[in-house]
Amino acid sequence: MSGHTALGIEALDQAVRLHVYRHAAETARVPKPDEIAAAVGQPLPEVEKSIQRLAADHVWVLAPGTANIWAANPFCAVPFNFRVSARGRTYWGICIWDALGIAATLNSDATVVARCGDCDEEIVLEVRDGALARGEGVVHFAVPASQWWDNIAFT
Amino acid sequence: MLLFRSEEHIDRWCAFRELPRGGIMSPEQCWLLAHAWYADKASPDWRRRTREEAEAVLAGIGLTEPFWSLHA
Repeated sequence: MSGHTALGIEALDQAVRLHVYRHAAETARVPKPDEIAAAVGQPLPEVEKSIQRLAADHVWVLAPGTANIWAANPFCAVPFNFRVSARGRTYWGICIWDALGIAATLNSDATVVARCGDCDEEIVLEVRDGALARGEGVVHFAVPASQWWDNIAFT
Repeated sequence: MLLFRSEEHIDRWCAFRELPRGGIMSPEQCWLLAHAWYADKASPDWRRRTREEAEAVLAGIGLTEPFWSLHA
């Protein structure tokens, strides 16, 4: 995008990250690379490199083979298994940790609707006034912590 | 990481997939983990935690067994 001052790598990564999280929090939608480039006023190829750097640093997870953000954790870009209602909007998490993380990032009351990984029965959790006001069930991590990022989608 | 109705449901899920049982935590622990991990994620001051800091977060909610170690 000509006419804009080029940012250094650190400043660009910060601008990209902040835009993605503010946009996701305010709209419940994770922006696409061209939208991020327009918002931060930087060329798309540079913004795509920034998105990939931040993915390599485990800030978020990309859709395979693209610079599209699949999950700006805790916010998932597409409807997934964990639905979170907060601030009058519907957000999605890729796991129960992220679903509860949405309430934490938003600093908001939230209702999480999950399903039992085994029997698919609905389980509802509620965050109220910064605490878990309703929670049932048991959380299971299949992968040891040292291997979480080997295959984050499975984790 | 998934949520299950009970440990019996976890064991059935693991058996069906021929996987060993992993690590478990309560929804309350998961909320405390989520809050510690994500409350500052949208902040300008956020930075990725070091491995030691991440392990301290896990230990802070009572997850100290080897399963929760971030050292390979």
